[in-house]
Amino acid sequence: MMLWILIAAMTAAASLSILLPLARARKTAGTTSAADQAVYRQQLEEIDRDLERGLIDEAAAEAARTEIARRLLAAHERRDGEASSLGSMFGVRFTQLLAILAIPAGALGLYLTLGSPDMPDRPLEERLAAPAENQTIDELVAKAERHLAENPEDGKGWEVLAPIYMRLGNVEAAANAYSNAIRLLGPTTTYLTDMGEALTVANEGIVTADARKAFEEAVKLEPKAVKPRFFIALALGQEGKKEAAIAAWESLLADADPKAFWVPAAQEELRKVGGTVSSAAETPKGPTREQVEAAGEMNAEDRQAMIQNMVQGLADRLSGEGGSVQDWQRLIRAYMVLGENAKAADALGKAREAFADNAESLGNINAMAAELGLAGQ
Amino acid sequence: MTDAFAMTRKQRRLTMIGTAGAVLAVALGLVLFALNDQIVFFQSPTDITEKQIPQGQRIRLGGLVEDGSLERFDDARVKFRVTDTANTIAVTYTGILPDLFREGQGVVTEGVIGADGVFVADNVLAKHDENYIPKEVADALKEQGHWQGGEQ
Amino acid sequence: MIVELGHFALVLAFVLSLILSVVPVWGALKEDEKMMSVASPVTVSMFFLVLISFAALTVAYLNSDFSVENVWQNSHSAKPLIYKITGVWGNHEGSLLLWVLILVFFGALVAIFGGNLPAPLRSATLGVQGWVSAGFLLFLLATSNPFNRIPNPPIEGNDLNPILQDIGLAIHPPLLYVGYVGFSITFSFAVAALLLGRIDAAWARWVRPWTLLAWAFLTLGISMGSYWAYYELGWGGWWFWDPVENASFMPWLAGTALLHSAIVMEKREALKIWTVLLAIFTFSLSLLGTFLVRSGVLTSVHAFATDPARGTFILVLLCIFIGGSLSLYAWRAPLLKQGGLFAPISREGSLVLNNLFLTAACAAVLVGTLYPLALEALTGEKISVGAPFFNLTFGPLMIPLLMAVPFGPVLAWKRGDLLAATQRLYAAFGVAILLVLFTFWLWGMERVLAPLGVGLSVWVMVGAIVEIVTRVKLFEVGLVRGFSRLKGLPGSAWGTAIAHFGIGVTALGIVTATAFQDEKVLTMAPGDTVSVSGYEITFDGIAPRQGPNYREDVGHFVIRQDGIVIAELDPSKRLYTARQMPTTEAGIHTIGFSQIYLSLGEPRDGASIDVRVYFKPLITLIWIGSLIMAVGAVFSIADRRLRVGAPKPAARRQAIPDATPAE
Repeated sequence: MMLWILIAAMTAAASLSILLPLARARKTAGTTSAADQAVYRQQLEEIDRDLERGLIDEAAAEAARTEIARRLLAAHERRDGEASSLGSMFGVRFTQLLAILAIPAGALGLYLTLGSPDMPDRPLEERLAAPAENQTIDELVAKAERHLAENPEDGKGWEVLAPIYMRLGNVEAAANAYSNAIRLLGPTTTYLTDMGEALTVANEGIVTADARKAFEEAVKLEPKAVKPRFFIALALGQEGKKEAAIAAWESLLADADPKAFWVPAAQEELRKVGGTVSSAAETPKGPTREQVEAAGEMNAEDRQAMIQNMVQGLADRLSGEGGSVQDWQRLIRAYMVLGENAKAADALGKAREAFADNAESLGNINAMAAELGLAGQ
Repeated sequence: MTDAFAMTRKQRRLTMIGTAGAVLAVALGLVLFALNDQIVFFQSPTDITEKQIPQGQRIRLGGLVEDGSLERFDDARVKFRVTDTANTIAVTYTGILPDLFREGQGVVTEGVIGADGVFVADNVLAKHDENYIPKEVADALKEQGHWQGGEQ
Repeated sequence: MIVELGHFALVLAFVLSLILSVVPVWGALKEDEKMMSVASPVTVSMFFLVLISFAALTVAYLNSDFSVENVWQNSHSAKPLIYKITGVWGNHEGSLLLWVLILVFFGALVAIFGGNLPAPLRSATLGVQGWVSAGFLLFLLATSNPFNRIPNPPIEGNDLNPILQDIGLAIHPPLLYVGYVGFSITFSFAVAALLLGRIDAAWARWVRPWTLLAWAFLTLGISMGSYWAYYELGWGGWWFWDPVENASFMPWLAGTALLHSAIVMEKREALKIWTVLLAIFTFSLSLLGTFLVRSGVLTSVHAFATDPARGTFILVLLCIFIGGSLSLYAWRAPLLKQGGLFAPISREGSLVLNNLFLTAACAAVLVGTLYPLALEALTGEKISVGAPFFNLTFGPLMIPLLMAVPFGPVLAWKRGDLLAATQRLYAAFGVAILLVLFTFWLWGMERVLAPLGVGLSVWVMVGAIVEIVTRVKLFEVGLVRGFSRLKGLPGSAWGTAIAHFGIGVTALGIVTATAFQDEKVLTMAPGDTVSVSGYEITFDGIAPRQGPNYREDVGHFVIRQDGIVIAELDPSKRLYTARQMPTTEAGIHTIGFSQIYLSLGEPRDGASIDVRVYFKPLITLIWIGSLIMAVGAVFSIADRRLRVGAPKPAARRQAIPDATPAE
């Protein structure tokens, strides 16, 4: 609102800077020649002064005087021919019209096409000081970074920031944050494991010595922990210690709940190092751990492409062979996340068709549609 | 108006025009001479290999600094190779390389080709922008079909 | 809100500029008081609007408001405060906004201080200034809007090009722009005079303070730019004949010519048509310079700002302004009354000679700057026209000009006496010859040109002093009376002498720093010592250091003369972290007017490093001389301010022909 008031004030001032002089101008005569004459009279006086000081001699002064006097006379004569006018009413009306109509219309019209009147200023300090629920992830991270730059001993801060870095794909920063958290808050399985994971992702999936040390310490703290053991097994495979790797994978799988999401990946790894999977319980087909991991390392565009590929795969399968309610829900949700609302609505329609005679499933689907804001479609 | 007066007017006019003409002629002569003699042609390594440029003629050589080609010697002497990916010319230079001189980046050097075919540079230019590839270099590389840069 | 207000102010200024372009010009042609009266208030309003706009952008920079695209691209929250401010014009959009601000500022100055101008001339001039403003405001809004917003602003900016993070950037572009853009006023005066069909001695006098003002700032701007390149680029050079430098130098040459031809016009009502043409040319060259720099058609050491779309737009603007004004000139100039001829040996004759050499030199620089572009456009052949070309063309043209400089002011108007003038200059000639001999004795005979160059510079300097001394007849009337006469000398006489003295000082600096420079390039290990021109420089070692937004390796050097430590220097290699861009910071020590200049190359294995060491004798005179020239211009302006007796507005309204002019 303030903006519009000020805009109105500026526009008014601009219009007035035309209207006022227009109303006040008075008729004068011979202004040009008067100004000319003033200059020439000045020059005459200069000659006198120069002569007085002996800067020029009498002859030169006389010659110059004649010359200037001629110009002065000419200017004076010209004056009689000069008469300014207050001009035609047309010109004045035209100018007034410009001031009253063209200025506000032109300026506002142009501004509305170019400007963003709804956008407030966003000074950095203000953005960082805003309540957290109004901030974007980037702002939150920047705020946390500033806080930690000033209080590097705040272990809780590092703890909070580390997983955020991880999710943003800034794995080096994540590893650093975890190591700070460990330094300040003491080692825990979670910190150690996540730091190892960050280091591993940072090295393109290779479990480095540092990472491995972290995983081993994590296992020391909690011998049954799955994730560090998973990575240690992976490390053994990468190092070429096949026997040890097979043993590690087998012990990991032996303790495992067969429905755990990582089981297929572990089985895959076990096969790779030459082991055999004992109880090949088929698990639902989803992206393998490697695929997910790969997605984590990709840049944003590639990741988007990969996700779209997978969604497309799912869509093809569902329209070809059909699938469960959960599968359809996954597809619709995925479309919504990707921002492809039309396709989501389309998939919703197909799902309703597929489960037209199953009231319970249809109810589930409609509930989700409502939740996603697709209900009306 | 007396004849004498007319003569002086004419003389004055002639003097003015003559002086102006002389100064302009000198300026023109200098410019033409300098354009003939003092300009430096830009050549890519391929031009030099193919064209047989006379020894001792000043040229500008531009291209990419070949990766791994930079050698430093004592007394601030350096050797590197400039490539347009098709051909490569060895360059020696004594002095301080510009801040943005890097292997794999564009460079323009000015100097003469020595008897051994090594280009002796007395000036090495790299522009002040981190993404910069000198315009001539970019054009030369485009000719070689090896350039997939942005809009430069 | 502040940002959007600034954006609106800019748009409103554009709309006003359109009105300013039409109404007062129309009024001036019709001699319509009402429509003419609009010119000054509208010009002042425009100035305040663009000022609001500029202030809004500055506030956005200070607050690190990254929702403004321009701020995000060119700033960084960790940047020191001073570079947040200078960063406003350290980029294309911001620097154009500054350009426009100065343009409307000059308009406002004419509106406020132009009370002595006849109304039609003032209105038409402001109207033409409105055309230029409209063109550049449109350029800003259409292709380079600094107020574009980003809906989801990033949290950190891209930082300013580190080479521009220097106090030199705070000073150099604004000065240069004031100079460049200042000549828009003389352009507008010239076009207005052509439109109104009246150019006379009075016109020349009205234009003169504006020309002087623009010229002074352009002189300072070029000089600061040269010094900035000298210490910031780390190459030890102070002038590269780079196209961007030429772009600022050509308006200077044309402007200097204009300054001198306008004197002839004011005193003798001659050279009218030529002066108007020079006024058009000078600003055209300023526009050409803006085009060359902003369009990115050049390969040059000044690398910021390149965009073909903008280049096309500004080329069109350039064609409209230059083509339009020259067409108007071709149409109207023949209708102007020609001035008289005059004797070759006279003050006006010497000023014509000055104009000849300056314009010829300007043309040579123009050819050298544009030839590579033209050749590449026509044949595809790529060439570089470098220092050798300019030294060979520009140099020889300057020599006769410098020889003639002391003659000009001592010659009388109309009919000068060359012999008498020469006699007055005997002293200057004697001093110059002595200096030549002294230089030969000091440096030996192997360099012939350099001592002659020293002699020429001294000739110009002493000639300027002689002029003042003879004018007041210092030795004839006795010192006491002489000094009181010195005070009575008009400012313009002082201005001439001071500016000519400055030319000599600059020339002396150029000659000595070029001819007698001592340069060593070598690799130094800690403890090594190198000697230049009698100074021993010892390298102590190199150490890393952390700056606010950069890391640097600092070398430590000790300078000794005859075993006594006279200075310590810390040149460095910096790496600006945000852009991963290295720069070289030279170490400079000034001894008298001379300097020792140290710059570092890449550190090698171990602790040794490549070092370039210069001794540059009297190099600071180059810049000191240009400061003196600017001071000369200030003296001249001061004189005009006192002596252009404007009829007071009240007196003008009554328009009594025999009213005594206010002084």
